[in-house]
Amino acid sequence: MSVEWIASILQGAVQIGTIYLFASLGEIYAERSGILNLGIEGMMIMGAAISFLFTLAYGHLAAILAALVIGMVLGLILGVMAVSLRLNQVVVGLALTIFGTGMSGFLTHPTIRAGVLRTLNPHIPESLLAIQEAPKLPEMPIPILSNIPVVGRAFFSHNILVYISYILSIFMWFILFKTRIGLSIRSVGENPGMADAMGVNVFLVRYLTSMLCGAFASLAGAYLFIGFHPFWQEGMTAGRGFIALALVILATWSPLRAIFGAYLFGGVEAIQYRLQVRGFGAQTPQFVLMLPYIVTIITLTSLSFESVRKRLGVPAALGVPYSREEV
Amino acid sequence: MPSHEYLVEMRGIVKRFPGVLANDHVDFDLKRGEVHALLGENGAGKTTLMNILYGLYRADEGEIYVRGKKVKIRSPKDAIKLGIGMVHQNFRLIPTHTVIENIVLGLKEVGFILNSKKLEQEIRELASSYGWRIDPSAKVWQLSAGEKQQVELLKALYRRAEILILDEPTSVLTPQETRALFNAIRRMAEEGKGVIFITHKLDEVMQVSDRVTVMRKGRVVVTKNTSDTNPAELANYMVGRPVIFTLQRKPMSPGKEVLRLKDVYAMSDKGVLALKGINLRIRKNEILGIAGVAGNGQIELAEVITGLRKVIKGKILINDVDATNKSPREIMELGVAYIPPENLRWGLVANLRVVDNLFLKAYRYPPYSNRVMINWKKIYDMADELIKKFEIVTPSKFTRTRALSGGNLQRLVLARELSGIIGGGVPDLIVAAYPTKGLDVAATEFVRKTLLRYREMGSGILLISEDLEEILMLSDRIGVIFDGRIVGEFKAEEADIERIGLLMAGAKVEAA
Amino acid sequence: MARYSFLGITVERRMTYSRIASILTTVIAIGLAFAAVAGILTAMRLDTYRAFGVILAVFITPRLLLQAILRGLPIILATLGLAIAFRMNFWNIGAEGQIYWGMIAATGVVLAHVYYGYLPDLLVLPTMLIASFIAGGVWCLIPAILKAKLNVNEILTTLMMNYIAALFVDYLIYGPWRDPHGYGFPLSIPFPSYAKLIFVAGNPSYTGLLLSIILAAIVYVIFRFTKLGFELRVIGENLDAARYAGITIPRVLMLGALLSGGLAGLGGLSIVSGIIGRLRPRASPGYGYTAIIVAWLAALNPWLIIPAGIFFGGLLVAGESLQATLKIPNAAVQILQGIIFLFIILGEFLKRYKISFGGGRGVR
Repeated sequence: MSVEWIASILQGAVQIGTIYLFASLGEIYAERSGILNLGIEGMMIMGAAISFLFTLAYGHLAAILAALVIGMVLGLILGVMAVSLRLNQVVVGLALTIFGTGMSGFLTHPTIRAGVLRTLNPHIPESLLAIQEAPKLPEMPIPILSNIPVVGRAFFSHNILVYISYILSIFMWFILFKTRIGLSIRSVGENPGMADAMGVNVFLVRYLTSMLCGAFASLAGAYLFIGFHPFWQEGMTAGRGFIALALVILATWSPLRAIFGAYLFGGVEAIQYRLQVRGFGAQTPQFVLMLPYIVTIITLTSLSFESVRKRLGVPAALGVPYSREEV
Repeated sequence: MPSHEYLVEMRGIVKRFPGVLANDHVDFDLKRGEVHALLGENGAGKTTLMNILYGLYRADEGEIYVRGKKVKIRSPKDAIKLGIGMVHQNFRLIPTHTVIENIVLGLKEVGFILNSKKLEQEIRELASSYGWRIDPSAKVWQLSAGEKQQVELLKALYRRAEILILDEPTSVLTPQETRALFNAIRRMAEEGKGVIFITHKLDEVMQVSDRVTVMRKGRVVVTKNTSDTNPAELANYMVGRPVIFTLQRKPMSPGKEVLRLKDVYAMSDKGVLALKGINLRIRKNEILGIAGVAGNGQIELAEVITGLRKVIKGKILINDVDATNKSPREIMELGVAYIPPENLRWGLVANLRVVDNLFLKAYRYPPYSNRVMINWKKIYDMADELIKKFEIVTPSKFTRTRALSGGNLQRLVLARELSGIIGGGVPDLIVAAYPTKGLDVAATEFVRKTLLRYREMGSGILLISEDLEEILMLSDRIGVIFDGRIVGEFKAEEADIERIGLLMAGAKVEAA
Repeated sequence: MARYSFLGITVERRMTYSRIASILTTVIAIGLAFAAVAGILTAMRLDTYRAFGVILAVFITPRLLLQAILRGLPIILATLGLAIAFRMNFWNIGAEGQIYWGMIAATGVVLAHVYYGYLPDLLVLPTMLIASFIAGGVWCLIPAILKAKLNVNEILTTLMMNYIAALFVDYLIYGPWRDPHGYGFPLSIPFPSYAKLIFVAGNPSYTGLLLSIILAAIVYVIFRFTKLGFELRVIGENLDAARYAGITIPRVLMLGALLSGGLAGLGGLSIVSGIIGRLRPRASPGYGYTAIIVAWLAALNPWLIIPAGIFFGGLLVAGESLQATLKIPNAAVQILQGIIFLFIILGEFLKRYKISFGGGRGVR
């Protein structure tokens, strides 16, 4: 339990936690506006797959942009089905996850991948067509700050996406709670009827948050691959998208609390890897790993009490399609 | 030529709903600086009229002028743009947000960033100009009903509304809060705004309005300056003269007591007291009609008796058995039948078949089922009988219930509750809440005849209705409910329309 | 919300449902899904014809069909459970976790018997059946109690329970239940023959089919002829009316959840006893989630669930075959599943609403 070890864990916590952070930021916005996105897992893995392919074909920047685009498209599908067609969000989300998981496995499969890569970039070198690995995002330690013992390594020795995530979370917190747009988003999720009457375009807001959620979920997947573990494996998201759902609840729909939650989950995962490497076999502390889920259930239960719900609660209109009262 | 002295003019407004003419060529106007009361019972059409003005409904015929210009109001957004604000009975606020956040939602002028300091200042000043003290950064769930209403008003006032519609605003207020509200309304009028005040309470009309329009059955009965009239006259306009009795009620001597409420208190869904010490009793072979404008506790009364709402104080006795806070099933088994209001919402499952709804309560009792299994054959046979006996018009017993017309839906409910398939025989107590609302003439007559028939067969009936004629026609005794209390009780022969009307409107009348 | 419009399209709720139109819509949805996947395969310049040939072969070749039945067995059982839950509007996303607990219970019985030998060999399988049912049932009961007493959203709780269950399996398999003679691999001991489904009818597929039919019949009877079935329906359609009708809602919720989870638990039994023959991590490739799609596809009808489950089981078999023979990724089958699901949902929408063109913004 040396200082070295702690610093390493913290660094791992931030590294892994950033995956959860991106995903939950988007999901927070969606749920705040009343949309429950169970497709988050599918969007995340699509982002990872797309980033894999595009990194080989072009490079990191293209990968990130492509992931954002694909996420927005998937989010748009969710929007159309949940908002305009008023279909059941749970079912639509699950369908998107299954579809996304399948699509990602399909496109990256050795037999298909070559064709896809060549379509993307006809001049791609032969050597890249069959590898499972892509170049990782370079680490960019911040001068001076990264030399601080422990903290420096934990927070200031990462790649650019991590730094972006810092800024993004603060930014998104600010928008959600301190601006007119954020107020509109939150009101749509609490009482869409009232928001509608007061001039807010409920449908537009929900479309935009769906697309945002998709983009961020996809970005999380892209970060997972190029920023953390650039070795493609089918199904490499391993349910992290759904874990992000738990995280959003634990964070009671606030971007700032999501930061803590994300790094907490990241930390637990980091410890698990370290213990594995240390030769504890896979006799890892599963019960510790269960904790996040158990805590989430406890949080949900306490949120059902009136006194707690008033202060911290679930957006009242979450998961409920909105339609104007028609006469 | 319409002039700007009038903020609002509504001419020839017609609004039809299936089976009812809610607004029948209504004319209404509102002057600058005036408080105009809109008085009438429920079903009179006043809420419909104001919903049209606020863009929640669209009129079938007629024109609306705002400040002299003809306008089309298609939604509340349009109304708000025209400077019209409406405060409904159930507040449309977001409890977890602050006062400021509720008020400025959707306003573009506020700018991108919510500048709390400036907004707080503005709202505080605005509130105090009407005599209100509100903490703009408080969360709405922390506020009292009166303060919540102030937030609703501020929502409209902050948007520079000149025309304010208040729908039964005092129903959730304490006397002090009511006084504060009236002061604020007077101040608004002084500022040159126009206030429309929907109510059924006479004393409020007299206290705060300049003019009053009385509506009844979709028509405007009269529009007068408040100073030129008095409560008795208004009550008369509100209630009208009774129609000649077309149904014969056989005189019966009431039997033993089937229902007794002792000092019953209950809360409404809004968190205020709905029943404030109700005492009443009903005996076999007797109909007790509860007269009153909807929203004075009638639904809650029906629900506490049938086990759907908690009694927080007091006792309910059914056939001398303590039935306070028993479950709906236990009450059912004590011999109580319930005909709920809005049957498609509370009493029927729209997507199930007619036969399923007929046996919605009776399915669990022999001979229609044993411990585990349902005997559909017996049910199907009985269903055929019931459909015939209660004259339910339906393609078959397997038709989806939502396809039936309103009158047939009600026949279905009657068949289910009264036919004796639950426990056999005639129900000891029938609670009928607005049983003929929205029904056509034939169905209405059927329901009334049925109730009278069961009265003769031995049931005690609690009839809740907003149709005073119906109450007079069917009841042996009449109770008037106002603000959660029974404010008057009469035997049918002693019934005095005027006094009933006054009591319904909250006037204090000396005992006969 | 009977009627609304957007972008020049007016949508109106239908008053009558035609059985034929309903079935037709489902069939068209599946057909379109296949067409879409065919499009994707062709776009990737893969042998679409042969691929569909392989898929078709699964359902007409007896040997492969039996495999399809076996692989579809957990799906069928879990879906039967979901039919009960969904009928009362209890969104049981936790079928996966309930399956895992079924596996755990079944394995537990086997281990207890092998090491301590309490029961005669013949009774092991029935005991496993009961144990799996109870384990899965209890796992579903917990979120149901939270919903009944505290109105906690069951979608999220059941989802979380899945992860807890999977982790518990991992713990058991890497720990106390690891096969001491398994060369360190994370596997349980292989099940003795009397603990496997093959024992009953000589072929696990036959046993499975028999089991499915019996259970489908039971579920059918519950739905059509029991008080519980009626109550499930009323609660699912109109909660207020259910209260008014005197139904004790918490009791029905919990009983329904117990049955739902129990059936999923049996699905878990079928995996370790019929398909794999032992317990290992990741034993379920998302059967619990597939079951949700199948439940929708079969419109909660027990008799449709069996063919639908076999269909999806067949897709699994086809997927592996495609990968082995044609080098088409197994994932293609997942895409098919996802697209089928999406189109079925769209079909649901069309069944319930009528679309017409024209109609302005908002009212009228």
